[in-house]
Amino acid sequence: MTPQSLLQLTSQKCTTGCPILDRLLYGGIPCDSITEIVAESGSGKTQICLQLSLHAQLPVSHGGLAASSLYLHTEFPFPFRRLHQLCLSFRSSNAHHFPVNDNPCDRIFVQSVHTADHLLEIMSKTDPFIENSKNQVPVRLIVIDSIAALFRSDFDNTPVELKRRSSLFFKISSKLKALAKRFNLAVLVTNQVVDLVGPNEGINGLRIGNLVCLHTSGRRVCPALGLAWANCVNSRLFLSRNEEVIREENEKSNGQSCDFVKKKMRKLYVVFAPHLPESSCEFEITREGLFGVER
Amino acid sequence: MEIWRLPISASQRGKLISAGYTSLSSLSSISSSDLARELKVSESEAMNILKVASHSRGSETSNASCSIVEGAQSAWDMLHDEESLMHITTSSADLDNILGGGIHCKEVTEIGWSSLSLIVNSVLKYKLTTAFGSESIIFMLIGGVPGIGKTQLGIQIAVNVQIPNDFGGLGGKAIYIDTEGSFMVERAFQIAEACIEDMSEYNRFLRKDFQECKIKMLPQDILENIFYFRICSYTEQIALINYLDKFLSEHKDVDMSLWSQVKVIVVDSVTFHFRQDFDDMALRTRVLSGMALKLMNLAKRFSLAVILLNQVTTKHTEASFQLALALGDSWSHTCTNRIVLYWNGNERYAYIDKSPSLRSASAAYSVTARGIRNSSSSCKRIKMM
Repeated sequence: MTPQSLLQLTSQKCTTGCPILDRLLYGGIPCDSITEIVAESGSGKTQICLQLSLHAQLPVSHGGLAASSLYLHTEFPFPFRRLHQLCLSFRSSNAHHFPVNDNPCDRIFVQSVHTADHLLEIMSKTDPFIENSKNQVPVRLIVIDSIAALFRSDFDNTPVELKRRSSLFFKISSKLKALAKRFNLAVLVTNQVVDLVGPNEGINGLRIGNLVCLHTSGRRVCPALGLAWANCVNSRLFLSRNEEVIREENEKSNGQSCDFVKKKMRKLYVVFAPHLPESSCEFEITREGLFGVER
Repeated sequence: MEIWRLPISASQRGKLISAGYTSLSSLSSISSSDLARELKVSESEAMNILKVASHSRGSETSNASCSIVEGAQSAWDMLHDEESLMHITTSSADLDNILGGGIHCKEVTEIGWSSLSLIVNSVLKYKLTTAFGSESIIFMLIGGVPGIGKTQLGIQIAVNVQIPNDFGGLGGKAIYIDTEGSFMVERAFQIAEACIEDMSEYNRFLRKDFQECKIKMLPQDILENIFYFRICSYTEQIALINYLDKFLSEHKDVDMSLWSQVKVIVVDSVTFHFRQDFDDMALRTRVLSGMALKLMNLAKRFSLAVILLNQVTTKHTEASFQLALALGDSWSHTCTNRIVLYWNGNERYAYIDKSPSLRSASAAYSVTARGIRNSSSSCKRIKMM
């Protein structure tokens, strides 16, 4: 066993496709580490995952990993149409990197996962799969969308079952980290949120990370899967979604009604990460993808 | 060694023997004032005798043990040792204060830099003595929720142990064992850069003559002196800790100069790989205690400090919940020092949960772009319990 030379150890990052988001993340999603994205449904988790799978194929000089990706999805159906849409815009903006008849979707390997044990099974098969992929375009990104779905229903709320669930977290995370280390992969995991009911004390008041409280859609939430899973990931990002009033419009002259123009305000927060300071930025989701907004 | 061999005057020798001191070991545990009283000589004479005795004792350590209990040291000697011991700073003056800061710490705060605590103050206080010796072992467990700054503190310690002696540091190297993959090189580089900047600032204020010290150190040098190991399973973890013995002895032989030895081992985090399903819990307890013992032996043999970063878990007691260090009570008890990092409102606090030598206290700190620093709030931060 020899120590690794830190001067030769560079943490590679995979670009998210948007320079503003990349700036927030100091380059993108890091390799050899697990990044978790926490958000309620409809906030854009899957959008980021798809976008990242496409941009991982960019050459390293442009922030990508020159790699294909493995996309494990647990929620059905897989958004093939959206992926195709994103693929078209990706290709048009990055045409010079790819040959003419190339389809970036060919380099995204999709696999559905049903249970936690199924995931463990898949991961043991992933080793040779990634090994083989080295011959063509190596796999350097694994996306799991979402990890929460695997655990939300299979376990009863008894201490024994919860303990079994926790040890499964560590097993999965340990395997993912070993894969990430061995093949220098970036791992992106998405997680859901649960509502916090009751006063902000006791277990509800447990603060993890930079934000006192996570808010989305006007309610207080916290990431699913609890403290045990929080110990398993290296970085956590939170996407929030809120309706904001930007201006009033008086339609009738007698002042009877005024319309509020509402806009969806989406923000990305860094909850905790070993290399990132507390920060946030606004973003929007368009046909072309997910992009940061500079205000 | 016998008294009659000591190079002291005949009358002193006679007084010693008639007072009952016949061997060197009996002189090893007495203070000069007591000896002066017993022998009815002046204190300076007694000190002389003791000095001669300790010199002779020192030159004979290669022989068979000259005292009944080898390596025994009086508490008085230990106190002297402690006062002269070198410490590793955490770079936050408040944190250093509660961890056994001394005169140096005060100096820094008087000058008014809240962000710099160059002068080395102990993160790691000397631990319990074993039955046979006063070998000091520094063994500390630091626990906290994710995002509180455990990895940041680990990296800061690995950088700060390298602060050269001229700046009051240990000038040692660090071993960083990463089990989770949280160590980011760019972050370590950032912290190393900030440390060097702080040192040169200090240089400018206080000592204008140590120009060379400032220039010599580059962030790359600091990174080179951190031996980084990445491990992916608990078997690898055990194997590595077993291997460290060989690694440290080889390293020691290669470079005999005192100031480039490994002085600290940081394990981040020690709990991660043990929280999976162990079919046999007794096996886990055995493995953990074996590992702790090995680490303590390393600390003792090579005079280094061991910092273990621990995860936390929730413990449901009756209706409420409590945060407890992961891996159970028996693991928490293997470490004689425990520090818990927690959130208090919007501030990060460190609390000395258990320590034989330090008072229970809590202090605020913050994680900045430059690393661990004092918290920016201006109210009185250190709370003694």
